[in-house]
Amino acid sequence: MHIPDGFLSPQTYLPAYAAAGLAWAWAARGLRRTLDEETVPRLAAMTALAYGLGLVMVPIPGGTSGHALGVAMLALLFGVRLSFLAYSLVLALQSLLFGAGGITALAVNALAMGLAGSIAAVLAFRGLRRMNETAAVAVAAWLSVVLPGFLVALALGVQPLIAHKEDGTPLFFPFGFSITLPAVLVPHLFIGAGEAVLTVLVWRFAQARKWLPSPARGRGVGGEGLERL
Amino acid sequence: MTATHWLLAYLAAVVAVTFIHAPWFLAVLLALALAASGAARWRIVQRAVLAGLTFNLTVSLGYATVALWQGNFSAQYLLLVNLRVLLLLQLGFWFVARVNLIEACRFSPTLSFVVTLAAGQIEAFSRALRDFRLAFVSRHAAAPALPARARHAAAQAGHLLDKSVCMAAETALAMRSRGCFDDYAGLPMLQPAPQPAPVWRPRRPDAATAYRKP
Repeated sequence: MHIPDGFLSPQTYLPAYAAAGLAWAWAARGLRRTLDEETVPRLAAMTALAYGLGLVMVPIPGGTSGHALGVAMLALLFGVRLSFLAYSLVLALQSLLFGAGGITALAVNALAMGLAGSIAAVLAFRGLRRMNETAAVAVAAWLSVVLPGFLVALALGVQPLIAHKEDGTPLFFPFGFSITLPAVLVPHLFIGAGEAVLTVLVWRFAQARKWLPSPARGRGVGGEGLERL
Repeated sequence: MTATHWLLAYLAAVVAVTFIHAPWFLAVLLALALAASGAARWRIVQRAVLAGLTFNLTVSLGYATVALWQGNFSAQYLLLVNLRVLLLLQLGFWFVARVNLIEACRFSPTLSFVVTLAAGQIEAFSRALRDFRLAFVSRHAAAPALPARARHAAAQAGHLLDKSVCMAAETALAMRSRGCFDDYAGLPMLQPAPQPAPVWRPRRPDAATAYRKP
């Protein structure tokens, strides 16, 4: 899902950096107040976790597999702010160390996957947890993949409209919405299903480890994550 | 130039490259970047080509197919977009080979801490996942079924989650023992210990003033 360097025009990535700067300031605001011996290693550990979850292969029906995002898991367990910051840092490290993603695309990738994915997951979980907690986790994980996929498809599909020569030849990404939306969204509907199964299994693991209290109390790590939003 | 200056120069170069739409100019810049990369240039080029190959090939082939079908194919566009991506990747890998990323983050102590810790833990996680994968492959003679692969992915994710929570606690202890945190922040400054109050004792008369028995 990462957009690589060189396919986004400055008209897209410069405003995205401005928006991401505000979002990073918002996410770090609460952290700076409590930047102590717990927060710094925790942020580093979450960053490494976000990176590691991106390496886990999610099985997709048909024998293929895709990469997990892990955003829903991070957002539900540790809160939107920490999830967004950790994911942004991962994207920066991935683009610099491994050439995956890119510096120009960092802001769009971070806003789509780190922020929109986390917020969608937490809101879906908050809305559905009273009906059925497992279904709420699954829907949250599915949305945390599909919504960023949709946003990434929009960011790519708008490129031929805003950055082209006078004769209409594109300067950056060449395909419009009619191609990017189905090309990005359809595979992510299936990847989202795999991510939902994975997140539910890890959620149960976390419950077995007593990281999550009984659903009746509705507090604890998951609850804390929701309150932090 | 310090590492932070290199980081700023790299970021400025990346932004500047995206404003150039002439393929010949990008080719000249790529040649300059190659010349400046020194002895490691071919290794860096190899990394850059491999990193961008999948996405670029997909986009280039897709564009060629669609544009030929619609009758508006432009070879110059293909050259432009592939040269731009290659140049950006070349600059990125050259920057990482030339500059220590952690040094470049020195302008923010917190960012340095987080990047140092995260980079170390990423290595540990990558190794753990490689072990998981090898173990999974060795346990399945045939292609594993979907439920087995789902359980395996969940076990990997659970292990990472477990490990990251433990590592955060361990790292906090290790950092504290090395004096990374100011344990006395917020406490009032130490004052010199007050002198103990003198204990009253009856004065012992000296020989001159001592009562003498008449």
